[in-house]
Amino acid sequence: MSGILTHSDPLADRAPDSRLAISVRNLRMGYGARVLLEHASFDVRRGEIVVILGGSGSGKSSLMKTLIGLYRPMDGDILIDGVSLVRAAAEERAQLQRKLGVMYQSGALFGSLNVLENVRFPLDRFTDLAPAEKTLVARMLLRTLEMGQAESLMPGELSGGMLKRAGIARAMALGCDILLLDEPSAGLDPITAANLDRMILSLRGNLGVTFVVVTHELQSIFAIADRAIMLDGPSRSIIADDEPVALREHSTDARVHQFFNRQPDAPLADRRR
Amino acid sequence: MTSAGDDVEVVLEGRITARTATPIWQAASATLARHPDRPVVFDASRVEYVDNVGLALLFDLIRHERSSEAKVELRALAPNLSALLAGYDPRDFAAAADSRRHVGMLEQVGRVAARELAYLAEVMGFLALCARALRRARTWRSSVMWHDVLNIATETGANAVPIVLLIGFLMGVIISFEVGLVARQFGAVIFVVNGVGIAVLRELGALMTAIVLAGRTGAAFAAQIGTQKVNEELNAISTFGIDPIEFLVLPRILGAVLVVPLLTVLADVVGLFGGALVMSSFDVDFLEFYTRLLGVVTVGDFALGIVKAAVFGLTIAIVGCHRGFETGAGATSVGLSATRAVVSSIVLVVVIDGLFAVFTS
Repeated sequence: MSGILTHSDPLADRAPDSRLAISVRNLRMGYGARVLLEHASFDVRRGEIVVILGGSGSGKSSLMKTLIGLYRPMDGDILIDGVSLVRAAAEERAQLQRKLGVMYQSGALFGSLNVLENVRFPLDRFTDLAPAEKTLVARMLLRTLEMGQAESLMPGELSGGMLKRAGIARAMALGCDILLLDEPSAGLDPITAANLDRMILSLRGNLGVTFVVVTHELQSIFAIADRAIMLDGPSRSIIADDEPVALREHSTDARVHQFFNRQPDAPLADRRR
Repeated sequence: MTSAGDDVEVVLEGRITARTATPIWQAASATLARHPDRPVVFDASRVEYVDNVGLALLFDLIRHERSSEAKVELRALAPNLSALLAGYDPRDFAAAADSRRHVGMLEQVGRVAARELAYLAEVMGFLALCARALRRARTWRSSVMWHDVLNIATETGANAVPIVLLIGFLMGVIISFEVGLVARQFGAVIFVVNGVGIAVLRELGALMTAIVLAGRTGAAFAAQIGTQKVNEELNAISTFGIDPIEFLVLPRILGAVLVVPLLTVLADVVGLFGGALVMSSFDVDFLEFYTRLLGVVTVGDFALGIVKAAVFGLTIAIVGCHRGFETGAGATSVGLSATRAVVSSIVLVVVIDGLFAVFTS
């Protein structure tokens, strides 16, 4: 006795026809009249780990929030799986946004729900799975992120690293294969940060998840990134887009060289000269 | 489709993701339930892609215990998915996720009563700490931050004047109107003045002002101190060697104890005015109202209302600050503290008002 189990819903879940998970085309963004970044173009390929880096105030987090549709760009376009996020109507835009899993700097867990309920939340809202099935999905995710023992804790009871891992679990709950992480290793001890890096590599290796990671932690960048895109605040532009090691070893741009080699600015007296 | 003897064979096909998994999961589970005594083979060779939901589905198929003759096999699964599934132990998922014990009504009542008693003891302890801080501030001029007291008194008092005036006026109007309608049937309209005068000066002026302040100021105190606790500002204050109670609570207590009686005076005045206004429609003019009022109320009635108002102010400030200090972590806790401050303040104010009524009647 045999049968075939399959289900396809071309509108809800199609295999990505584009090898590009995210395409940014001639983007200009900022607040009010203040421009943070202009003429920015780059692609994120499927299964790639791309790091967005730059000094404090260079617009890294703002770029991430623009990529996920929280901020509207001043000009240019952002394509998710080949579909424009900028030109999409409200419903299509919400569908595109649900393709992206986002972990915010603080984890942004809902304070009134425990960890398991936080991870179950998107499944409750957007799937028809049975309650036991949703719980199983959430608990497996938490096990994957080494958070199994913390599932009944409230967000207020978690450490910084646990908040971030729970945030990643919630971001992944809907099966998003594009994850955007804002400063995942900021404020974490080296061991927790290294564990998080290993987890990111494992998720990419085993589930083919694409990552866009905003960070300026050099060790993390060298550990996980296939490519690093560097923003520069004063020139409001992307000044580098290459493998991190190549940027460190071969970049001729003084700003890139200084960043990757962790060199301080010249003393003020020298700069005045 | 293939048949393999007694085996039930099911082919899994395509993409199994959060958006497609539901019918596949239901059908697969139903297949397992229909054939509890036969081996079931799930052929995964045609699976194109699974996300974490698909992975949970595959794990769910093989995690349940079945007899040795009815094993479940996942055949031709991609090696990376096999490796991922091998990382999960079915025993970890055997226990119910939510094992909250059902609590009976009697136990619930007992728990609530114990909690409230413990809370009352905590508030008394906090009051003792405040008293100690007040005693330590021997030279008030230097120890108490009068600038803060003034700011708090302005925020708590001056900014609350309009709402207190409105509530006080309406209170006088409503009482005299309702009582006046009944009194008129018995030809006793003039005695309404007695009722309104005593009720406003002894009870309602202070009580209504305290209830307004509990909602406005008690919640604000709890939210302000709660936010400071969440942001670790309280730790920073302690690290400087400053007593947070002296620094944050004393100015609020002094501010509240000063302004609630003043606001009560306003509520009394406009309450009586509202009563007089309504009574004029029952043929009791202002002069008659005033004369009658002076005959039935005493300075003691007025003073009792003012003393009660000071005690209510103290209660509201103590409860608000205490709720702020016991705030947990996160934004939700701050909201919870503010809500609890309002509820606890109002309950305590009414209880204290009752005690005053018993001991001063």
